[in-house]
Amino acid sequence: MITVRDLVMRLPSGGRSLTILDGVSLEIAAGEVVAVTGPSGSGKSTLLGLLAGLDTPSAGSITVDGVEVTRLGEAELARFRRRTIGFVFQSYHLIPTLTAIENVAVPLELAGSAQPLPTARRLLDELGLAGRTGHYPAQLSGGEQQRVAIARAVALAPPVLLADEPTGNLDSSTGEQIIDVLLALNRQRGSTLVLVTHDLALAARAGRAIALRDGRLVNGHHPR
Amino acid sequence: MMGRVAARLAWRQARGGGRHLAVVGACVALGVAALVAVGTLGAGLEATLAREAKSLLGGDVELRAARPLPAEAETALEHLDAGTRMVRVRELVAMVRGPARGDSLLVELKAVSEGYPLYGRLATLPATPLGSLLADDGAVVQRQVLDRLGLAVGDRLAIGAITLTVRGVVEAEPDRSAGLVSLGPRVFLSLPALERTGLVGFGSRVRHRVLLGLPAGSIAREVRAALAREIASPSVRVAAYDEAQPGLRRFFSQLTMYLGLVGLASLLVGGIGVAAAMAAFVTRQTPTLAVLKALGADTRTLVATYLLQTQVVALVGSLAGVALGLAVQPLLAAAIAGLVPFTLEPRPQVWTLVRAMAMGLGTTLLCTWAPLTAVRSVPPWLVLRQDVAPSGRGVSRALTLLPVAAGLSVLALWQAGSFKIGAIFVGASLAALLALWVLARVVIASARRFPRARGLAWRHGVAALARPGSHAPRVIVALGIAVMLLVTVALLQGVLGRQIDHERRQDTPSFFFLDIQPDQRESFTRIVEQAAGAPPALTPVVRARLAALDGERLTRAVVDRRRSRGDGEERRWYFTREYVLTWSDAPPERNVVTQGRWWIAGARGEAEASLEETAARHLGVGLGARLTFDIQGVDVAAVVTSIRRVDWQSLSTNFFVILSPGVLDGAPVTWVATARVPAAAESALQNTIVATFPNVTAIPLRDVLERVAGVLRDIAIAVRLVALFTLGAGLVVMTAALTATRSQRLYESVVLRTLGATRGVVARAFAVEYGVLGAVAGAGGGALALGLAWALVRWVLDAPWSFDVVPLALGLAATVALALAVGFLSTFRLLGHKPLPVLRRE
Repeated sequence: MITVRDLVMRLPSGGRSLTILDGVSLEIAAGEVVAVTGPSGSGKSTLLGLLAGLDTPSAGSITVDGVEVTRLGEAELARFRRRTIGFVFQSYHLIPTLTAIENVAVPLELAGSAQPLPTARRLLDELGLAGRTGHYPAQLSGGEQQRVAIARAVALAPPVLLADEPTGNLDSSTGEQIIDVLLALNRQRGSTLVLVTHDLALAARAGRAIALRDGRLVNGHHPR
Repeated sequence: MMGRVAARLAWRQARGGGRHLAVVGACVALGVAALVAVGTLGAGLEATLAREAKSLLGGDVELRAARPLPAEAETALEHLDAGTRMVRVRELVAMVRGPARGDSLLVELKAVSEGYPLYGRLATLPATPLGSLLADDGAVVQRQVLDRLGLAVGDRLAIGAITLTVRGVVEAEPDRSAGLVSLGPRVFLSLPALERTGLVGFGSRVRHRVLLGLPAGSIAREVRAALAREIASPSVRVAAYDEAQPGLRRFFSQLTMYLGLVGLASLLVGGIGVAAAMAAFVTRQTPTLAVLKALGADTRTLVATYLLQTQVVALVGSLAGVALGLAVQPLLAAAIAGLVPFTLEPRPQVWTLVRAMAMGLGTTLLCTWAPLTAVRSVPPWLVLRQDVAPSGRGVSRALTLLPVAAGLSVLALWQAGSFKIGAIFVGASLAALLALWVLARVVIASARRFPRARGLAWRHGVAALARPGSHAPRVIVALGIAVMLLVTVALLQGVLGRQIDHERRQDTPSFFFLDIQPDQRESFTRIVEQAAGAPPALTPVVRARLAALDGERLTRAVVDRRRSRGDGEERRWYFTREYVLTWSDAPPERNVVTQGRWWIAGARGEAEASLEETAARHLGVGLGARLTFDIQGVDVAAVVTSIRRVDWQSLSTNFFVILSPGVLDGAPVTWVATARVPAAAESALQNTIVATFPNVTAIPLRDVLERVAGVLRDIAIAVRLVALFTLGAGLVVMTAALTATRSQRLYESVVLRTLGATRGVVARAFAVEYGVLGAVAGAGGGALALGLAWALVRWVLDAPWSFDVVPLALGLAATVALALAVGFLSTFRLLGHKPLPVLRRE
């Protein structure tokens, strides 16, 4: 499903170049749940962002669902993100001027869906937010916002769901619920789930955990 | 598909940009309003000119000549269709006297035959037919005649050799539109009475008109063409109603064109507001843009979203602008009412409104383009690393401005309707924008560089101007343009006002005296000398018509052929006008020989002529050309041996053609004179001259100049009115800029107060900032106004430059005051915030 080869990412920093990822290679099978762990600054989020096609690596290649992401142009990348990737952020990144249902409808509308709002309503319903559809992000709790963000990420049923510290801004019981939701979606839809976390208990619930340190892969074991 | 997505996004995203979009709408509305007001006025003028064309001309076809119609013209008139109605009119400028008090007045006499007017309505009081009022030596006069001479209806009025009885007052005259400035009020009399005044002698300037009312089925242009074919003499002007009034038409079209450019300037300033508001909006939307891109939105969809959003807002703004423009238009029409010889009934025209709206939408499209290119450069990875600012501006950003400038230039050319004027406008606008922008940059750079001492308020006020992403450039540019326009109007008014201010011009005569007969010369000189303390300057003149050029007789066909080399009516005038000839040993004062040489005084050789340079250009002749003049049927020829430049501003007696002494010997001569008299003695001298010499016309220059000043005042008011829209747009830009920095300002003011600054200190810091903004905009705009006014005076008005510091100082002071007022209105509420909640939020 996902193949990463010799991935290198350097960013300019204060006039010098800072290496964030330094030759990462890995394979993730379809339907797998993979946790990416490591201390802050180890390159976890950058790896996830590159998988999502949000940025272009300095070297190496990424293939997702048979598409070599690293070769796509700007417009093709937009389409790739829309069709193949669902992304859940640590700080939710809901659009503050849109209501919950409108936020969920955005990817549906971008994809030209015929009935964006009913679909969005059904998704929010499934995630237990039926009564909150007309609320603006500022009127929702953190857990509710993250569930809206998850609904938005899976609205187009992407084969790959990427989650960047999805529980990082939440208390532990709410975080627990969010993980339940993500894993349930993975089971129901058979989509691939890659999540970044530094919560080892959470990582333990994944099918596989990989650890990054200073931009390099430390291990790639299958705990189960 | 993309369109629908964009439409939905646009609608929803608008919620986050209310304030920015309101600025866009307001800026567009002000610009469109100015264009609508001017456009409707222009369309109204044109429509009224067309509708009233027959009344304005006085008939379907008009024959006009400076002498009685030649026999060929009379024959041609006899051959017209039987049903043709015909009215004869003679017009001249003359003096009238009230015998009771002895006061005299310069008037425009009009003698008409039975049947006048053919078209339109002559309103008299009493409302009796004109024919019966004028019968038995009756006169009908404008009310000013009665007021100035202390007369009433029924009183006697002396004109030339006869005395008439005032039988009524004329309140409206359909075909009185000779020029913008009349020399005096109207007096109607009958043709036989005019004959007996003795004023229509040789040498007097009488306009002979024949007005034709064609029977149904005749086409005016065809009749005109037929008459023109039969009447070979080019000195008889033949015009059909739908091609008449070229002078008036040209004046109005130029007036509306210049007003339109001032209106366009307000749209340009509005464009600055649009661009600034969009740039601020896009910056604020950057996080959202990154999220949308992460969700798979492509740049095209996003750009389409914002374009759609602003276009809808611009459409709403344009509609508001149309309403505002139509509401303001009557004020504009009232301002120029004094210049219009008919009742103006402007009706909004669809095309005018659509055009103005298209200008508004087009300007918005162009001005949102550059800010929207920033959408492309928002990277989707911002959702992961917000601390890293996206880079990449500079050269590529400057390049995006090129198509914008090109597009705006096209709009300007469209508005101007003339490539040359439009190009000058574009060039001048670019230069002004660039100059103000550079000035703003210099101010910011010096605010950063110079040590900041001078107390807390000064330090913070100046520092605020220099903060990164400073709003100073756009505020200074927008306000500066408005200041430039308003100060330019004031400066021009000053220049022209001084030019025609009789008191200041010591060299200007008080009177022109015309038609002094040779036998009156001595006693005339004596009377004037007694009143003025100095003898008048007398010049002999002979009235003549140009009969041939280089031996070729000037027929209508020849004139048409010769003038077709150049530009139209004005050129024709040089062939057909009555020339006032004189002779002289030496070139007159303030005349400069530019080609050839003046004749040697006293030498009686070949007949020589000295020709004024514009006349030479329009006639298409140079040195060595042979001019033949017709003086009362006798040909007199002379060879051009010099070309002169004449200072027409000097208001002394000037001539197109001066002949060498001897050439005009034996020709019927009259004399013209100029005299400067103390203001207090003017009316006494005029009354004495008119009582002694009823045939002499005294033109009081002070009166005439005051009327010219009145016309200028009206025009200046109209221009100011339109320029106020620019100022409005400038103030919107300033308000928007201040509101855009609101949260930053709030935070800074709260931090200052936490550190112990009073509200007063914070308010003073604001005042310093706004005051400096106003002062720089005022000074920059004033400096540009000086340049613009100078250029206009030099190249358009062709007047001598003079400078007055008052408009500049006023402009500067008013801009500072306005900037302070608007600044405080936009930000005073910040001072009321309690520090702690603000800091907690941060």
